[in-house]
Amino acid sequence: MGAAGAVEISFGAGRRPEESTRVRLDVFDGPLALLLSLIEQRQLDVLTVRLGDLAGAYLDALARIEHGRLALLSSFVTVCSQLILIKTRALLPRAPQLVAAAGEQGPGDPEEELRRRLIEYRMYRDAGRLLADRRATGVWLFHREPEAALAAGRGGARPEPGPPLDSRLLADALAASVRLVPPAPPPPETMARTITLEERAAVIRAALRRVPQLVLQELLRDVTDRVVVAVTFMALLELAKGREVAIEQSEPWGPIRVTPLPIRPLSDADG
Amino acid sequence: MQMADQPIDTLVTEPEDVLAPTPPGELSVAQLEALLFVAERPLSRREIAALAGIEREQVDALLGDLEVALRDRGLRLISAGDQVQLVTAPEAGRLIARYVGADGARLSPAALETLAIVAYRQPVTRAVIERIRGVDSDYVLRSLMHRRLVVEQGRADSPGRPFLYGTGFDFLERFGLTSLDELPSLEPEAALRLDE
Repeated sequence: MGAAGAVEISFGAGRRPEESTRVRLDVFDGPLALLLSLIEQRQLDVLTVRLGDLAGAYLDALARIEHGRLALLSSFVTVCSQLILIKTRALLPRAPQLVAAAGEQGPGDPEEELRRRLIEYRMYRDAGRLLADRRATGVWLFHREPEAALAAGRGGARPEPGPPLDSRLLADALAASVRLVPPAPPPPETMARTITLEERAAVIRAALRRVPQLVLQELLRDVTDRVVVAVTFMALLELAKGREVAIEQSEPWGPIRVTPLPIRPLSDADG
Repeated sequence: MQMADQPIDTLVTEPEDVLAPTPPGELSVAQLEALLFVAERPLSRREIAALAGIEREQVDALLGDLEVALRDRGLRLISAGDQVQLVTAPEAGRLIARYVGADGARLSPAALETLAIVAYRQPVTRAVIERIRGVDSDYVLRSLMHRRLVVEQGRADSPGRPFLYGTGFDFLERFGLTSLDELPSLEPEAALRLDE
């Protein structure tokens, strides 16, 4: 076989298969891979096996998963819950009229649904194994590619050794490229930008002395620096907190109107 | 349409006359073979048609002839979508692999079944792959893409515009297929049951 199954299962001495099954989950590929392995190890037919009967063995296998792999467990739990549901339904007698109402073996039947998924999964798993077998026969095709020479070198095929390169050539090339490339412009002088809340608050106060009401967007119309915009906004909030101004915005993204509040007597502010 | 503009002598040249120089707007099987030999990448049929100044249909016919002509030779023609490429024959695989030192790195069962889903269902979204496998397939898909066995093939029109995945030339080459038509057929019994 080209590819070994993902789950290794062996049987111990116990009488019941659920107890005697040993599952080694070295590389397990998913809940359907595990369930299918359980079915195949028992040499059962996926088309006819009563899936509910495997709930115990599946749970048993899940319990043996190493703790490090618990992150992967959620996908297994889904199938597990389906198995338990199927088993429960099989155990409880169901009134014939209920079965009829459920549309007999319609698409809603969890067992048929899971069986369908298993068959689809098995189809692609087996197709993958066929591909692996094909690959193992060495029927690869190769195309011409620039890297072929490199790959050939790795494989031991080496070209005739040429004369060694003169290191002066490299130095000359570097010197020539320096002449070709224009000198880089000096880096722009960087200056630490210091904008304080106080400065921006003073700007707002000054503007409010000139007009009775101020629209923040208009005050900042010519400002392109986002930091200045942000600091001005923060300053405005500070002024509102200190009850120097009232802020009004009737809708999101609408004009932010700022009006000065009358300065209150100190005793009020203390209260 | 262009007949009136053409000199009289090209009109009377017999196309069977192999000694006559090939006038522009024609392509022989040998020329096509030479072009594909020199190209170090897959060429699209449209590209070949434009290079030779002939119709797409003529390129298709010539590629068919070349495929037949190569049957007993050491080279094969492979095609994926609109593109074609000249590659070595499958029976030379082991020999060339030894020469270029190609690695025969094995694929894990998870990678193989994911690759099979992509190969048979392409173009396919990751969601479909994960539904069939019942398990998160992000990692295995990415490793297949890293090996260039799986390639992105645009996006689906469904909500979220998820990526569509398919197989490229590297897949065909690694598995010795000259086109996707050569994929072994899926288990007929299961395929039938799923179509119900």
